[in-house]
Amino acid sequence: MSKSSFLGADTIALHSGYQPESDHGSRAVPIYQTTSYVFDSVDEASALFNVEQGGHIYSRITNPTVAVLEQRLAALEGGAGAICTASGMSALFVSFFSLCSAGDHIVSATQIYGSTITLLKHTLKRFNIDCTFVDINDQQAVSDAIQDNTKLVFCESIGNPGLAVSNLPAIAKTAHAQGIPLVVDATFATPYLNNPIEHGADVVVHSVTKWIGGHGVAVGGVVIDGGNFDWLKSGRFPTLTQPYEPFHGMNFWEEFGPAALAMRIRCESMRDIGAAMTPHNAFLLLQGLETLSLRMQQHVSNAQAIVTWLQQQDAVAWVNHPDINAEAHTKALFPKGAGSMLTFGVKGGRDAGAAFINALQLSSNLANVGDSRTLVLHPGSTTHSRLSEADLVAAGIGADLIRVSVGIETLKDIQADFGLGLRAAAKVVAMQAEA
Amino acid sequence: MYIQVDNAITFIATGGKPFDASLPTVVLLHGSGTDHRGWALQARWFAFHGYSVFAPDFPAHSLSDGEALTSIESMAAWLVRALDTAKVHNVHLVGHSQGFLVALEASTLLGDRLKSVTALATASAIPVNPALVETAQTNPKAAAAMMLQWGFGTQHQYGASAVPGMQPIGIGVRIMASNPLAIDLAACVDYNKGAQRAQQLATIGCPSCVILAGQDRMTPKREGLKLAKDLNTQAQVVEESGHMLLMEAPKQSLKIMKTFIQSVEK
Repeated sequence: MSKSSFLGADTIALHSGYQPESDHGSRAVPIYQTTSYVFDSVDEASALFNVEQGGHIYSRITNPTVAVLEQRLAALEGGAGAICTASGMSALFVSFFSLCSAGDHIVSATQIYGSTITLLKHTLKRFNIDCTFVDINDQQAVSDAIQDNTKLVFCESIGNPGLAVSNLPAIAKTAHAQGIPLVVDATFATPYLNNPIEHGADVVVHSVTKWIGGHGVAVGGVVIDGGNFDWLKSGRFPTLTQPYEPFHGMNFWEEFGPAALAMRIRCESMRDIGAAMTPHNAFLLLQGLETLSLRMQQHVSNAQAIVTWLQQQDAVAWVNHPDINAEAHTKALFPKGAGSMLTFGVKGGRDAGAAFINALQLSSNLANVGDSRTLVLHPGSTTHSRLSEADLVAAGIGADLIRVSVGIETLKDIQADFGLGLRAAAKVVAMQAEA
Repeated sequence: MYIQVDNAITFIATGGKPFDASLPTVVLLHGSGTDHRGWALQARWFAFHGYSVFAPDFPAHSLSDGEALTSIESMAAWLVRALDTAKVHNVHLVGHSQGFLVALEASTLLGDRLKSVTALATASAIPVNPALVETAQTNPKAAAAMMLQWGFGTQHQYGASAVPGMQPIGIGVRIMASNPLAIDLAACVDYNKGAQRAQQLATIGCPSCVILAGQDRMTPKREGLKLAKDLNTQAQVVEESGHMLLMEAPKQSLKIMKTFIQSVEK
């Protein structure tokens, strides 16, 4: 079982949080496409607003379709509760916003998504929240970076796009030793491949847009409250352990315990920031979630086959996937394989890489990952283009790096498509030699 | 709020408002291995509607320090000392499962301070399978999981939640696994005065309310009906709920609780 359900993961993905409703017996989760909900009475309205009863008030805060997705994801990750948001970035923002205030500090892995680096390095800095970036698998560096005002350690379970696997148990041990929670963006792993809470994480974030949705049709995010962190004992989290004035002095830790963070996000971030997931997007994302395990098996097996195939191609300079020469912690954390992302470089550098991407016919050159279709991108000129040269190096992004999100197409067709790209790259190399 | 009882810091949930002993006080008593958070929603309603709420974490449970109490009788005596410390005079006892055994026993100690008793998902005796007690002693997490798998009804086993986005099973596992579940269960096994206490309450005419769960496999409905008979009251049954009634059906259980307590206060 996960720590939140006695059902198996595939059953959770299909059934958790919804049973056919009584009026019409809809087997699929209905789309509650409504902004608001009629109250039985003034007293009931008052009770809902004052958290004296559960239910729905306004779809910026909660929505029945979104709630099914939340409860399913919380159960899959073994959390105490979940809050879905408009995007993965907003999920990260509300997590940081709920744990940190002006004057606080975050310790983050260097090898993370470009927009997350921007959020941590520039956007939060405007609110006087600082961040120190470290090699997250260097526990001495993590420990040394923690300050009196540090509120969380952050990493991606598989870094984007460097694909470094974070040693979650070791990082959690380091963070917990100093009373700090570990927040993990597990987008590249999905709940199918790894459940960070089982390995010491306290908060898990996903861009649900990616493999969980899986079809490239809806943007969304989720924050899952692991429910294991003792916010009071830590002594660092007044947002959770001190009275919250806007809710008549509500003390989230005292009243909701393991779900304190989720309730704080619900009561504050969803109300004040309003980065809500739409019910239609929740419905689309639920369709993806229901087949997550089946798709992930094909994603991973295709990725492993493509890695092997690329390693055999003359035009390829290097290939990177976490399963290549996997470290012990990678094998332990990802027994089913470390995802379907890979990076590689072609001989001839950036120009040859560009030729590779431009020659592809089946694969799509776009700024997304985790679609069922194979996707490619040159991060140095797109997702990570706003980073300095030094930050690019720290993030493990060379000029020739091509990022591939391997899809679930028939393997030979992906190989044939990549063959087109490699031939185009080889031509660039030949031209470079002639010049 | 935190108060000192028997030289130990004790947490009393007050439903989000400062405690006022001059108001009629709804005393919410948690079950084996759980804590005040099971009452989170009901507590807030009472606190914001003219009552004071007194929902303790029993010693060594969640936010309270101290040594775990080993018998229902000692828990009842401790409760009365806690109520004395807070100068509570006007008491409506509400107990879930083991919490109602404590309420039954405390009823003999409160005299005319007691205004009513309300039972949720319970019985006058709570026998516990010895294998569960043994598991709770050796592997509390496994025992908590066993109890919650048995304790929640069908809807919640399928991930339902009265509070959108939450996972009551996940919350329950975390709370129960760190509390002295084995000691609580052993105290339930040993307690055999429940029927007698219930009959005494009926004899003195103490107002009582019994709320049962149709899918309760921990304290089956038939046992709760016997309790209602001993209390000389009619039981009300929430058919779609399991044993974790206060979390599974907070709205329905609150409606019955508040209707009853309001009627007593009138």
